[in-house]
Amino acid sequence: MAWFICVVILLLCSKSELCTTGNASKLIEHTAAHFFEKMQSGKMYFIYFGKQVNPTIGLFIEQLEKSADVLEDYGISVAKVNCTNEHIAKYCTGEKLMKKVYLFRGGNVLKSFDTDTVFDVNAIVSHVLFTVLFDEVRYVHTIAELQSVERAAKGKADIVLGHVQVLGLPEHRALMETAFVYGVKYQFVLTTGGPVLTNMGVEDISSLTAGLWFLHCKGASQSQHSDSCPHTALRRALTTLHIYTFLQLMEAPLVSEASVEPSEVNMVHSHLQVPLLFLFSQPHTVALDRVTAQTLAWRLRGQVGLVLIHRESPDVKIPLEYNAAYRLPGEGSEVKYLILNNLEEVIDLFRDESTPEEEEDDDNWATLDVLDDEVAESVYRDRGQSLDMDAVTELTADTFHSAVAESDYTVVLFYVKWDAVSMAFMQSYIEVSESLEDADVSDVELAVLDCGEWTDVCSAQKIRSFPTVRLYRPQEPSQPYQGMLGTESLNRFIMLSRLVSPVLLSSPDEVTSFLEGDMYQRHAAIAPVTVLGLFSSTADAGVPVFKEAAKALRGETMVGLFADRQAEIWAVEYSVTLPAILVSRGPTGQTEAHSLNLSMPDQLVTHIQRALLDTFATVIDGGHSAHLMKVHMDQIQTLKTEIESLKAHQQKEKHYLRAEIQATADALVQSQAALMESRAVNDTVEEGEERDGVTIHARHTCELWNSTSDRQTQHTLPFKCLGSLKNVLVFERKAIFLCPFKMASN
Amino acid sequence: SPTNKFLHCLLLVHSHNSTRHHDYCVLGAGPAGLQMGHFLSKSQRDYIILERNSGPGSFFNIYPRHRKLISINKIYTGRRNREFNLRHDWNSLLSDRPDLLLQRVSRELYPDADSFPRYLSMYVKELGLKVQYGVDIGKIRASETESPRGRGYILTDQRGLDYTCRVLLVSTGLWDPQKVQFEGSDLVEGYESIPVDPEEYKDQAVLILGKGNSAFETAQSILGRASRIHLYSPSPVRLAWQTHYVGDLRAVNNELLDTYQLKSLDGLVEGGLEDIAIVRNGEDEKKRSGRKKKCRSSGKEKRGKLFLTLSELLDSSDGKNSSKVTATNLPVYHNDNFSLRQPYDRVIRCLGFRFNFSIFDGSARPPSSEGARGRLPGVTAWYEGRGTPDLFVLGTAAHSRDYRSSAGGFVHGFRYTVRAVHRVLELRYHSNSWPSIKLSISQLQSWLLRRVNEASGPYQMFGVLGDIILLRGSHCEYLEEFPLQALPQFSSLSGHQLSKHGLLVLVLQYGLNRTDSLGPGRAESEWTRAWRSNFLHPVLYYYDKLPTERDMRHRPVGWPLPRPKAVHHMIEDFLTEWDGPISHSQPLRRFLEHCLHTDLRAFYAESCFRFSLTNRKPPLFCRQGYLRKHGVVRNRQLWQHAHEAGLMPGGQDSASPDTDPAFPDYLTRAGASVSSAINLDF
Repeated sequence: MAWFICVVILLLCSKSELCTTGNASKLIEHTAAHFFEKMQSGKMYFIYFGKQVNPTIGLFIEQLEKSADVLEDYGISVAKVNCTNEHIAKYCTGEKLMKKVYLFRGGNVLKSFDTDTVFDVNAIVSHVLFTVLFDEVRYVHTIAELQSVERAAKGKADIVLGHVQVLGLPEHRALMETAFVYGVKYQFVLTTGGPVLTNMGVEDISSLTAGLWFLHCKGASQSQHSDSCPHTALRRALTTLHIYTFLQLMEAPLVSEASVEPSEVNMVHSHLQVPLLFLFSQPHTVALDRVTAQTLAWRLRGQVGLVLIHRESPDVKIPLEYNAAYRLPGEGSEVKYLILNNLEEVIDLFRDESTPEEEEDDDNWATLDVLDDEVAESVYRDRGQSLDMDAVTELTADTFHSAVAESDYTVVLFYVKWDAVSMAFMQSYIEVSESLEDADVSDVELAVLDCGEWTDVCSAQKIRSFPTVRLYRPQEPSQPYQGMLGTESLNRFIMLSRLVSPVLLSSPDEVTSFLEGDMYQRHAAIAPVTVLGLFSSTADAGVPVFKEAAKALRGETMVGLFADRQAEIWAVEYSVTLPAILVSRGPTGQTEAHSLNLSMPDQLVTHIQRALLDTFATVIDGGHSAHLMKVHMDQIQTLKTEIESLKAHQQKEKHYLRAEIQATADALVQSQAALMESRAVNDTVEEGEERDGVTIHARHTCELWNSTSDRQTQHTLPFKCLGSLKNVLVFERKAIFLCPFKMASN
Repeated sequence: SPTNKFLHCLLLVHSHNSTRHHDYCVLGAGPAGLQMGHFLSKSQRDYIILERNSGPGSFFNIYPRHRKLISINKIYTGRRNREFNLRHDWNSLLSDRPDLLLQRVSRELYPDADSFPRYLSMYVKELGLKVQYGVDIGKIRASETESPRGRGYILTDQRGLDYTCRVLLVSTGLWDPQKVQFEGSDLVEGYESIPVDPEEYKDQAVLILGKGNSAFETAQSILGRASRIHLYSPSPVRLAWQTHYVGDLRAVNNELLDTYQLKSLDGLVEGGLEDIAIVRNGEDEKKRSGRKKKCRSSGKEKRGKLFLTLSELLDSSDGKNSSKVTATNLPVYHNDNFSLRQPYDRVIRCLGFRFNFSIFDGSARPPSSEGARGRLPGVTAWYEGRGTPDLFVLGTAAHSRDYRSSAGGFVHGFRYTVRAVHRVLELRYHSNSWPSIKLSISQLQSWLLRRVNEASGPYQMFGVLGDIILLRGSHCEYLEEFPLQALPQFSSLSGHQLSKHGLLVLVLQYGLNRTDSLGPGRAESEWTRAWRSNFLHPVLYYYDKLPTERDMRHRPVGWPLPRPKAVHHMIEDFLTEWDGPISHSQPLRRFLEHCLHTDLRAFYAESCFRFSLTNRKPPLFCRQGYLRKHGVVRNRQLWQHAHEAGLMPGGQDSASPDTDPAFPDYLTRAGASVSSAINLDF
């Protein structure tokens, strides 16, 4: 084993001095003079001429530095010339961003590459070596081309045929590195697909990304004009290690013979981690056994080494009933004896190892068995817990109508068992019911109805989505609950629904008490926002409209109505004309006034709802907004990590990266815009530290963004960083305002 | 008294003399006619049901002869879901009254036949259906004058009175016994007239022609009296529990299979009916043959007995006088182990019934069906007679569409096709589109599960009626129980247009691979192999555009629909409850995601909040819920579960890389063509 690793190291480090570790890059930076001097030396140089560095070029240079170490092994120096300082005609062109790399030999350009082609170490090494070995490695596409190569090689040398679908990938590099080392010994042939593969017995050409075949032409006689040389396929991934092992195996004799115990046999195969198969021969069948061994060896070539053991030797003490044995690679692995009846059995024996692919398939299915819906999964994980339905009334088709007619307030949750959201919400629903019981609220009945069983009721109630929550009051149309599916908001809805809407206020004192939350202290604690309609008299045409709207808003917010001449006082105070509404945010919050001139109740409802939205700063008070910002910052941190990890992946997925960075940066800016906004609306809340925090982060985000995206992509974004944030503010406002729940930390 | 009734009828006819025009005439007050009557009455149409007898469902006053209905009346299902319970009630008609079911009349699993007309009378009475009894329509012709409203039909009754109708709904059922003409067919008794008292068959050898339920029912009733019962027909017996076709031999009637296979003198024989002949031995009294002596029984008994022979044997031996039977006329003379060589005391014909074409004038006669041996009228996929516009065939007579495959010939099947026809009528004559429900896309999965778990129409009329879901971006239209074969004419029959998003069709069907119904491996339980399900299971077909008639004609054998763009089988379920989160819900959701190119997962509010900040477009669930202030707030316990499952994106400290909301990774796995087109537009 150790010996084996040594070989590989030697292979990779043919000019040994380079295999030292260290951070010093082998990338040389040339001055103009230096450059011309070197050109005369006759050595090979791979040189990048650059001026400005953008992130893409920066990454390329990183890769170039890495490749310098590798290419030096092959006698190729890697260098860069800074065209800002030095000027070398022909190569230092006028462009700001230069994207050409040149390969020189003795002062002449062998080939020029685009930086997009040689985007990483693998690509650089494979392309450079491919160019260097241009004369030695034949490129074929058609079967005829391959046959002519075969004809030429017959009797002289074996052929190594490599296939890579795309140039510049690690497989290509492995192949080129091998070709560099073994180019003298074998004829290397490269193809990138097409008919040649069909000739090699590949069934699905498009699915094979890389492959390697050994064509045994050396032993083939030249007279066989038409026939191709017999070939053996490499059945493993194309890496330098595998190719090396494979070539070694091809060199090993097809069948070895021995007259010792199988455990004593020592062959190159054991070092190459290849299993050995032993066949036991008797003197009178030796000729036949050799044929069998040959046939088997051809079929298992490259996978298994074959040894024919002469049983008659006194050193061999194998029980007579066995005719074969095998030994898997690895220190101290045992010899296993078997009785084999036909060749296929033997071949199957070794094929078993190559079947894990199917298992992988099963694994894929297994992962599909996992619920990937967080709600469904969390409900599923809870399946062991039976819900305590005692707190709620389970309605049936028989009891539904009487139940909703009996109680002052009946809240009904319509659900189906197979809907995870229904079942998740059921838990909160039961909690609400329990909390109402604790709070001694006796006029509200919480009930559930299973639409999977009582389908008629649900159809009659026109239930179109699950879960649906409705509030029933005797003699009144049912009211849908459209708030968040959680305990707090449902609780608030129920509490507010029990209030008359609108509350008719008769004196200025009552108005003040209403606005400041003194009138309904218990409610004010859970819903501090109140809306008050101000009209100059009860005869105002807007009063019935307002009453209608107030009814619709029942459960959502507390609505009061003051229709009196004294309403003028407030109108003057808030400088609006009557009719108007006042939106109060409780004793600590501010009060805003809006004039009304709407004739339809639903318009008015929308209007009031919009007025309520503006109350962001109080809906999410100081503590909450601090937390909100923390979430933003966590988010930014996450995105930053994401960008970094993307950077790391860049070698692989260069082309997708740009789009992803842009998307991420987009999201970043949006998130930041939201952040800025929350700061804006929080102006009234606090100054200082938090605000600074925001600013710092905003700046940080921009820096991050600047560093990760091209100038070009920046322009394609809808706005500049920190620039016209105003648009985004408006656009993003919705998402932020609709966050009427407490955040995770509490 | 009958005379009073008759007078009353006359009065009725005369008083309505001037108004014998109706928009809809329903011919026959059997289950199909009454079912249609209910829908017409519910939509307040001008209709009349014409019935020649004095009560509804008069077929059941005679048939089945042995008075046991074999349609299941399962009154205990462990469920209170009315729709679900109709899956196991094969006799009741549809109505809006929860208690208007056969179980009010009979509590038996296989009710007495008399209870069915009783039930139908109750149905007529409680729903107030307009039935005119004692009107025997003898002639139907198309109106010659083309009115702008269509051509219309004129029906003439036994008194020569004409009834004109714009639309004729033929629900006359099958009354004419199916007969086959052969030499000696006059010696054969018919199922319709045989005695039902088993004592009449004491020690008799009986040959029954036919191997359907009526043949076995007859055999079963005389099993304890007859000496030998042979059943003879061209095709081998088909067992309903094997073929899933309720018209095949039901296990409730199959005792003779036992006595046959347990060697008790009964048996089944296959052979053609056209080339047989039945001859009576007794006619040849003078004949003296050695056979008589050979027989140990006395010649007297042998006399008058019936022999089954082949018509070719009669022709060759005695071309002129076939009434004289010689030994050479009998198959046993040529083949000494001929199965049916022993004589019979009775030969009974139990070959089923055919549609009565004779009352139709040439102008109004639908052609004979291609299938079902031409016994039924040929109808379109929406049950309109071929070549007879505005004439629809309902009930058992409309069975040619799903003959030997589904339940369209039986009450529990055609009650749904009648409803479908009524919906077609509503659009065509009253411009009322097929009823539909508008659903948000995020609710589609729940709704589909609701239907597969309770819907009785697609369950009974498997492979024939299916729910259609018209995809419209962020919402969809859900139409129930559309006749699948009419899908190419969907828009003109339903009044709904298709959008570019395509449509889904929900069908229930049995597996196509015929397996041993009771053998090992008959059921599939691994959801990944749902497509190999054998038992009735839901299948979803996704089309991006309507299949054409050509597609429909060239659909694969046994398929209810042409090859779709994508298909999803929900794994068969032993309890027919398709609500498992792993085996049923999630694969269904993934299929819908695949078709809709969007993420349909549900998210808690906090996840939605994050997605709203980090994505240009958060997932649909968040947009339709959270962003409308309707998100799902986790409670502590569930939150914990979701976290442990590693599904929550970016906790306080770490973000798992594989929770990109917009692209669940199995979408990419589903195929490149799909993943490249994730649709974020709705």
